[in-house]
Amino acid sequence: MMKKVRKDELIVPATFIVFSILCFILSGISFLFLAEQVALRFIRNIILVLALIFPIMAGMGLNFAVVIGTMITQACFIIVLNFNIMGGKGAALVLLVSLAAAAGVGYVIGRLLNKVRGREMVTSIVVGFLANYIYQLIFVAGFGTVIHVFNKKLVLSTGIGVKNMVDLKTFKQVFDNLGVFSIGKAKISVLLLAMIIVCGFFVYYLMHTPLGQKIKAVGMSEEKAANIGIDTDRVRIIVIVLSTVFAALGQFVYLQNIGSLNVYTEHLDTEKFACAALLAGGASIRKAGVKNAFIGVVLLHTLFVLSPLAGRNAFANASLGEYFRSFVAYGIIAFALVVNLRLEQKGEK
Amino acid sequence: MDGKIKLPQIIITAFMLALFVLAGFLGMDIPELVSGSFTKFVMNGVLVLAMIPMINAGVGMNFGLPVGIVAGLLGMCMAIQFRMTGITGFLGAVALSVIPAVLLGLLYAKILNMVKGKEDIAAIFIGYSFIPIMNFVWTVIPFTNREMLYPVGAKGLRPKISLENYFGNVLNELMVLKLGKISVPVGLLLAYAAVCLLVYGFFKTKGGTVMLAVGENEKFCQLSGIRIDRVRTMAIVLSTVIGAAGICVYAQTYGFVELYNAPLSHSFPAVSAILIGGCIGRRAKISHAVLGTYLYQTIYLLSAPIANAILIPQMSEIVRMIITNGIILYAFLKQERRRRQ
Amino acid sequence: MNLSLLFAIMRVAGSPCADIGTLLLRRRRIMGKYVLEVKNLEKYYGQNKVLDKVDLSVRKGEIYGLIGANGSGKSTLMNILFGNSVIAATGGYSGDVLFEGEKVKLRSTTEAIGRGIGMIYQEFMLIPEMTVAENIKLTRENTKGILGKVLSPELCFVDRKKDNEDAAGVLEQLGFEIDNSYLVKNISVNAKQFVEIAREVNKGDLKLLLLDEPTAVLGDEDAGKLMKVLKELAEKGTSVIFCTHRLHEICQVCDHVTVLRDGQVVSDYGRDELDMRTLARDMIGYDVAAVKKEHQNREEKEILKFEDFSVYMPGEFLDGLNLQVYEGEILGLTSLSGHGKLAVGYGVMGQFPVKGEFLYGGAGVDVKNVRKTIENGLFLLPDDRKNMGLLLEHSVRDNIVFSGFYGRNLFQKKAAGIFPVRDRKEMERCVEEQMEKLEIKCESAGQKVKELSGGNQQKVCIARAVLVAPKVLFVMEPTRGVDIGAKEKILNSLVQINREQGTTVVVASSELEELKRISDRIAVFCEGKLSRILPPDATDEEFAFAFTGEEGKDGR
Repeated sequence: MMKKVRKDELIVPATFIVFSILCFILSGISFLFLAEQVALRFIRNIILVLALIFPIMAGMGLNFAVVIGTMITQACFIIVLNFNIMGGKGAALVLLVSLAAAAGVGYVIGRLLNKVRGREMVTSIVVGFLANYIYQLIFVAGFGTVIHVFNKKLVLSTGIGVKNMVDLKTFKQVFDNLGVFSIGKAKISVLLLAMIIVCGFFVYYLMHTPLGQKIKAVGMSEEKAANIGIDTDRVRIIVIVLSTVFAALGQFVYLQNIGSLNVYTEHLDTEKFACAALLAGGASIRKAGVKNAFIGVVLLHTLFVLSPLAGRNAFANASLGEYFRSFVAYGIIAFALVVNLRLEQKGEK
Repeated sequence: MDGKIKLPQIIITAFMLALFVLAGFLGMDIPELVSGSFTKFVMNGVLVLAMIPMINAGVGMNFGLPVGIVAGLLGMCMAIQFRMTGITGFLGAVALSVIPAVLLGLLYAKILNMVKGKEDIAAIFIGYSFIPIMNFVWTVIPFTNREMLYPVGAKGLRPKISLENYFGNVLNELMVLKLGKISVPVGLLLAYAAVCLLVYGFFKTKGGTVMLAVGENEKFCQLSGIRIDRVRTMAIVLSTVIGAAGICVYAQTYGFVELYNAPLSHSFPAVSAILIGGCIGRRAKISHAVLGTYLYQTIYLLSAPIANAILIPQMSEIVRMIITNGIILYAFLKQERRRRQ
Repeated sequence: MNLSLLFAIMRVAGSPCADIGTLLLRRRRIMGKYVLEVKNLEKYYGQNKVLDKVDLSVRKGEIYGLIGANGSGKSTLMNILFGNSVIAATGGYSGDVLFEGEKVKLRSTTEAIGRGIGMIYQEFMLIPEMTVAENIKLTRENTKGILGKVLSPELCFVDRKKDNEDAAGVLEQLGFEIDNSYLVKNISVNAKQFVEIAREVNKGDLKLLLLDEPTAVLGDEDAGKLMKVLKELAEKGTSVIFCTHRLHEICQVCDHVTVLRDGQVVSDYGRDELDMRTLARDMIGYDVAAVKKEHQNREEKEILKFEDFSVYMPGEFLDGLNLQVYEGEILGLTSLSGHGKLAVGYGVMGQFPVKGEFLYGGAGVDVKNVRKTIENGLFLLPDDRKNMGLLLEHSVRDNIVFSGFYGRNLFQKKAAGIFPVRDRKEMERCVEEQMEKLEIKCESAGQKVKELSGGNQQKVCIARAVLVAPKVLFVMEPTRGVDIGAKEKILNSLVQINREQGTTVVVASSELEELKRISDRIAVFCEGKLSRILPPDATDEEFAFAFTGEEGKDGR
């Protein structure tokens, strides 16, 4: 019995490894280049993937609404820049405001998801889409009309709407000055790395607290947890708040590392790729841990880096590799959904 | 009666009328807008009808509409490959898309029957993961008509194939009636009415009534000896076939066949349109689809020039998508409240 | 099974339960003021009154027995006392609940637990993927470390070692040995019961413990252990409310017993007045009705045969049934709720996983293929009319012809000699005939079924079955939620189907009186097993004991 569960957990990561090796051979790039690319992407993505663990633990499935956390951070960057607050002070302010806002918004999403029990995943997708368009509305139409522009560099020449690309170098420098750690050509701020380690540890720690026990109990059986005396509504809201806050933090680290912001596209599909990464690490929509997140991010991004290169080398067509890559990302989510829901149905019978 | 028009419909209708008034103030050509609203309406109307069989069989909203659309695209590509033109070309394309639609529909049904109760989320990702597979196919498929291929260099079909020399606008230009300044595309409307009638007629047959019963009470039907999975499969295949025909109608009005990622953009608007029409989940009527499509598409049609007039052209698309997703979210909440009662 | 012990219990059952003297005396001393008082409690589920002016008072350190048949309101009462959210969601209750003299209105289980109330459920409230120790300490974990102390105890590190020690301590106190580190999903059913009890006992401030059929899954030895634990708890001052259908256990430990029937308190006995026979009679509670149907002596030709047939239906487990059904008879199935009477039919109709053999006319049946089963001449009318038995949004006509038309392809004629189309005339004739025969009261055959009364809805169901003309008809709870006038009609029509069409009818019902009137034989179930098959004119006492399973254990 135990052995069988293990095998199920291993089969997805194993497939990823096999494909990665295949692509690596086809692509013909150096290992160092690969390591550098994957390390960069790992730093940018890992906290967002960690953010997905809590809702899975609480039995709410994949929380596609994490994308809202990432949008909040982006919005905070733009707003802080609009007030011309630069450098370390600005970065600290962005961090503080975005985490606080994410907690507030997370509470609202949590309340909403409590109203649609059993359909959290599809609702979180729709909420994410809705938030995306509201975000766009604010920055396309709100800036320069309703919102006063203090920083003229941000907006388009018409005076309405934020530019597609916003420079964040002023913040990036603060972190880079505090020490950098490099793999090949990739430079990673030590402070950001420390944040990631703290986040990973926090998730692990939380799962070993009384609150973590409650989250697990709710995830395994909400009805039973309620009868034991756990306030399931509260636990589910806490979980979504944590998830949204983590997502906001994750996007902060990501943008700090990149140093620039694509206002309208940076956050698109991040939630789906994060889900795919977690699942690639052997998680399911009912069970996930820190380990799955770390392994999954490495595996998914290895394949992501390699597959277009492999496509170009082998078929003289990079787009084939890209199609393969998006098929992998979406396909693994579809696969996980079908397998898990089918198991659940069998379990009920 | 259930067909009563409820508050959301009143709000949406009022919004639409307000847009008409605003458009009038901004000095726009109202008759042209009205004429445009007819073609826009039918253009998307058949795609919205593709929701009906699945909803009525209790399979949920057809978020996997891209599956049907891809079948339709295959049909149209074949028609272009065989250089079929005019109205026969169009009908040929629809006929050719039926076979892939049935096959893909069967596969789609097989997966959805494994995830009873959570079809929505599964269908969304079936759609998402199906598209890259098809992108692969579009790139390697051995079609030879030059007008379909990338002009130079890259392999495969081009993302936007013009229908000008084949069957673009054949329905739109069929029997156009001029009423003053307003032109009414009678042929197009008749074609749409015919499809509606077919769907309506189907739900009067034995197979159709069973589908409704399964949607209403699965356990009851099972205890009466009805094979639930079969009925669900039938509904899903039917939805897929209608979806395929729907994209053919869409493409002939639009004038282009859009391949690659384009099919993804149709499912949410179609779901939202039928919800705007007054359907909230379990039971969808033709009237919901017709009313919903008209309201939804007309709002979109009107908002574009208005947004241009106030110098923020992206506004109309953004507002449309906020309405789309907002309505779907509203429907989820409403369904939950119903279920609890 | 310890037969001699049970025999002894049975023997004393005739006279008032004697006591172990000293223990009782000691307990009386600490019993004092009331921990719980319930006054004039009333509760409706929709239109149904499930609790009617219930009064109870439980003293400190008292073991209070609560018995009642199905639908007597036991579980509802427990849910109110434990603040289950079901109650508030269905409109709350009226009347007063006083806990330790203070008027309370418990809105959540968390609140109830906060006040020192614990509950042990019939179906276990344990998290299967957690270990025994984790389950026992859930929500009351020991913690260590300083990090969390600054913020909240919820954010401290769990001290697993201490938790394990605690859990081991409690289990030892209960006299039950099990490894703490096992996952709950891997342990046996009675071990689960003890883990659940351990969790409650481990609560330091437990003032009132509610138990809902805790011994249903326990063997006699383990049940004995539990009784001992309860007595010890009571001695320490915890009050216990104990729901069970095992009368000898009630007699063994309870200081006070209340019998509930149809939501009302029927009788109330002190320890010295306890008597199993009286309790059984109060619980089942009938005024004996004359047997109206004359029973024919038929030759016993087997039509259905169950061989070691188990059905895994949630909340209604059927365990290894061996039973033969004879052609042309009306067989009644009855039991307390959840003891297996409904599982028989649903198992046959493939609604739940089954094990064992089911033979129809001597041939094995694949119950998963429902359509085949129905084509072969079996049919079932479910107990849950709204969710399984009717298409509420459809008309009376559609409902009546549905199963015949769609399931068995009746009412078809060939149009132009080839195409099968519906034969509207024949349909209309059959519907009219049935509506007249069963006296279905509605505006027209086109009226929606959801607008009819419960009785008329049930008649629509029966009409549907009649048109299918099955060889064997299973009917579940045909008279539940039906007014008296319609009841007669429904029962008569079942007899009529049996007489006129020669249909073998298997009726599962909790209304024993009605079964007695129409059945040729009545099979009584207890705890998922066939307890006895009795003729309809058997004495009340025989039925009462068959219900509680006491007779079977007596060995007679």
